[in-house]
Amino acid sequence: MGGSGMRNLERRYRTLLKVLPRWYRRDREEEMAGIFLAERDDDLDLEHSWPGWGETWAVLGLAVRTHLAAGAGLGSVPAKVLWRGEVVRALGMLGLLLGLFYATAAIASVTVGPGGAYPPDLHWWRLLELGPFVAFGALLNGRRTLAKLAAAGPVLVTVVSMALPHNPLLWGLFQLPSFVTFACLCLGFHRDAPTPSARRLTWWGGGAVALGVLGGVATGVGLISIGLITAVVRVVAFVRGDAVLGRALSLFAVLQLVPLVFLIFADAGIFVLAGGLAVLLALVAVAPVRRRSKAAPQVG
Amino acid sequence: MSEQTFLVLTALAEEPLHGYAIVQAVDQLSEGRMVLRVGTLYGVLDRLVADGLAERDREEVHQGRLRRYYKLTDSGVRALQAEVARLSANVRAASAVLKGRGLQAWAGRA
Repeated sequence: MGGSGMRNLERRYRTLLKVLPRWYRRDREEEMAGIFLAERDDDLDLEHSWPGWGETWAVLGLAVRTHLAAGAGLGSVPAKVLWRGEVVRALGMLGLLLGLFYATAAIASVTVGPGGAYPPDLHWWRLLELGPFVAFGALLNGRRTLAKLAAAGPVLVTVVSMALPHNPLLWGLFQLPSFVTFACLCLGFHRDAPTPSARRLTWWGGGAVALGVLGGVATGVGLISIGLITAVVRVVAFVRGDAVLGRALSLFAVLQLVPLVFLIFADAGIFVLAGGLAVLLALVAVAPVRRRSKAAPQVG
Repeated sequence: MSEQTFLVLTALAEEPLHGYAIVQAVDQLSEGRMVLRVGTLYGVLDRLVADGLAERDREEVHQGRLRRYYKLTDSGVRALQAEVARLSANVRAASAVLKGRGLQAWAGRA
């Protein structure tokens, strides 16, 4: 359809369609515009109305699924789009493992540890912090809506905690990895996304729980443990040629760097330890990735 | 299977349809309960094509606009049959329960 004869409603709808990836629009834009404008011939409507909230919401949902393509969903998905979707899902899964670590550490700290990081004034709503256990199991069973709801528990607790009278900026920065990875979990595991491999990820979940016990008993080593594990797994991913996991870990390292850099400036007493960890994470972030072959990337 | 997917499969069961005809058919089949947005329709169609339940048929230009037709595959027909059987069994079970309470199954649709 030429631009000269285009009415305002069509122009607005085509503007809305720009949220869809270019490769998708190339194939579908004319078809979608045709359906949207079918039998709409009222001049006032064509000049002054807009696509509406319902259509906008539907197109935004389609945009998320197509930008983070699941792979099998569309025949002509470019390789880099497939890869982007896999990285976002891997990052969401890393966040869930981080949640398992924190939840286990909380339990270990309260039950057998010194309880330093988790004060004795326990409230019922702190049960929400156990959400990652439910979320992990639900995701591996393909129940992704339940997984997202359960994973939202700790995020909700964190948001509420930020309103309490302590340093909300520092607290918020430390929770940045959790916030971002939760968003990745919600966006990446859309309806068309593949269910992650339970066999492989059960081992990862077990590792996160084991580390969580260590982190809960020996309070204060949590940040260091997560940083070191990130670096070790990044090396393993490079050696195995797992480019998706490698890239996801690089982004995960960047997320951890943000609060760490703030901590270095805020507390000079831990400069050496925090600085060393920051350098390690920076190396993880910029290290190259290696692809095993040209085959479709595997994650989860 | 979501209600949207079920209705789109049902719409395509009779004959190959283009996108706008699918939207209209779903509106009729659901007696106006379900308004299928264009963005939603393509999400459903992408899924059906990916799962091998539907495929592209032919393309036409109508009043200067592209119309692409979609049709059910044999797998799509079998999936629809299976879903109809499942829903029918549920309806029979619910009707029996209501009948046991002396109620008509369709009383709420007056």
